[in-house]
Amino acid sequence: MEVTLDAGVPQKPGVLSELMKSFSIAIKDMKIYYFKPAILIFGILFPVAIFFAFTVGRNVDASALFPGLIALTLFFSTTTVGPFSMPWERLNRTFERILFAPVSVSALALGKTISAVVFGLIMSVVPLLLGILFFGSRVSNAWVLFLGIFIGNASIANMGTLISTFGSKQPQNVMLLLNLIRLPMMFMSGIFVPIFELPHWARIVSWFSPVSYATDLIRCGLGFKDYFGPLISSLVLIAFGVLLFLACVLRMTAWNRGD
Amino acid sequence: MREKESGTPALEALNLTKRFGSVTAVDGISFSVEEGEIFGFLGPNGAGKTTTIRLFLNLTRPSSGEARVFGLDSVRNSIEVKSIVGIVPDVSNVFSEISTTANILFTASLYGIGRKERMSRMQDLLETMGLSEYSEKKAGQLSYGLKRRLAIAMSIVHSPRVVFLDEPTSGLDVSSSREIRELLRNLKYHGTTFFLTTHNMEEANELCNRIAVIDRGRIIAVDTPERLRREATEAQVIQVEFNRVLDENEQRQLVSLGPFHKIVPMKDSYKLFTGDPEEAIECVFHFAFSNDLRICGLNTLKPTLEDVFVKLTDREASFGSHA
Repeated sequence: MEVTLDAGVPQKPGVLSELMKSFSIAIKDMKIYYFKPAILIFGILFPVAIFFAFTVGRNVDASALFPGLIALTLFFSTTTVGPFSMPWERLNRTFERILFAPVSVSALALGKTISAVVFGLIMSVVPLLLGILFFGSRVSNAWVLFLGIFIGNASIANMGTLISTFGSKQPQNVMLLLNLIRLPMMFMSGIFVPIFELPHWARIVSWFSPVSYATDLIRCGLGFKDYFGPLISSLVLIAFGVLLFLACVLRMTAWNRGD
Repeated sequence: MREKESGTPALEALNLTKRFGSVTAVDGISFSVEEGEIFGFLGPNGAGKTTTIRLFLNLTRPSSGEARVFGLDSVRNSIEVKSIVGIVPDVSNVFSEISTTANILFTASLYGIGRKERMSRMQDLLETMGLSEYSEKKAGQLSYGLKRRLAIAMSIVHSPRVVFLDEPTSGLDVSSSREIRELLRNLKYHGTTFFLTTHNMEEANELCNRIAVIDRGRIIAVDTPERLRREATEAQVIQVEFNRVLDENEQRQLVSLGPFHKIVPMKDSYKLFTGDPEEAIECVFHFAFSNDLRICGLNTLKPTLEDVFVKLTDREASFGSHA
């Protein structure tokens, strides 16, 4: 049997075909990276360990800890896949394989973001279910909770993808940079202490973290007092997501110039 | 077999230049490749071969000039260009963590090939490339040669009109290299255009219709392998082996004695480049007699592409000529 090399017709970029390519990239990432030890450690074990390190011994109702735990798991899991997969693929030159193909930079960035979002969604649902089933958490506003988890993941995943475009081709160096940004952010985003209980200066800082808005929505969805309100949180998260995504596309376009 | 279209060249470089800071990797090169040709790009490491490929694929932007594929500008029509070209890079950049079939199917999906067609092409490629028995094996578990075949399969899954091959047999053992060359020869019959970069003279000689010799970012000759050799009449070579090694002074003395352009020490012998082999042989005997040397071996050689390269660049070939 022989391969017939038909006359190839140049493809014009189309929205639907680009979307399909994004999904292909995302599915490939899911197969390759979801079970890598580094992803599981930095995406799941790390936030759970940090959360319990800062909350065990505090005299609060267990269910009150879950909005923070869900937000922290969401934050860490959704920002781990991109910063691991991109440098890994650049190091092994498999990223180049995608650049050889007729895939636009936005489709490529979207594919990376989709794989991060799906991982974040799966991981965020685990503490939510644990809270509901074993620790008395209750969903008081399912829509707001859904928005918090879904838009939160979609927005914050772009932050991970953006960070992955900086620095070296070594995954460990990018993960180091990622944690340098993530660790201070988690203290300023209402994860351990609700935003309204933070000092004035920290509250102002929290406005600039997309994680604050996701945490606020999750708190509201689980019946706890919120700070920004669902509408503002949702809109700001969407705005953050769009800005971060555009920044990713710009960074990747600069790579593509090879300069 | 693919039918030829109107006279648009498959590949065209127009005064193409790429600078990285103060380094000029590609220096105003111009050439065109006709559809169905196997065009060799021959030069040592760092000559600008890979950068030229990257310019055609818009993986790096030209500092000036244009690269066109079937008349499409590689910068302005990047997606269209990528949809009709395939590339086999110098390393087999396959996804090690997924299977052979998953690698081919994923690549096909990036070219917008439908599911049914993807499956059919994947089956054909597995057979053509001799990968059927490794179809479910993870790519990372394949041998170097099999990974190379997989990389080629991934580069032609969308039936490209032009395939760029960057050092396709680099690092392969002799038998794997031969198999890859045989595969390329088979694919050639389908009318696909190949742009082959290599530093392997014999490979270029064996596969290519035409060869461009590139050195320090500049093209210094473009012709058929046979004509390149014929034109290099001054690159005739005498290979001589003495009973002992010559020091640098003796080598200089030998070159000054006769019509020699250059002396290149080999493992046990010396290659002498000359335009007049008969007189050159006399000089070698005279040199041996006056220096009390014994001649253990003497051959006149037809110029190889490597010799042509030495003549064209006026420097010693800094790359191997292994088959």
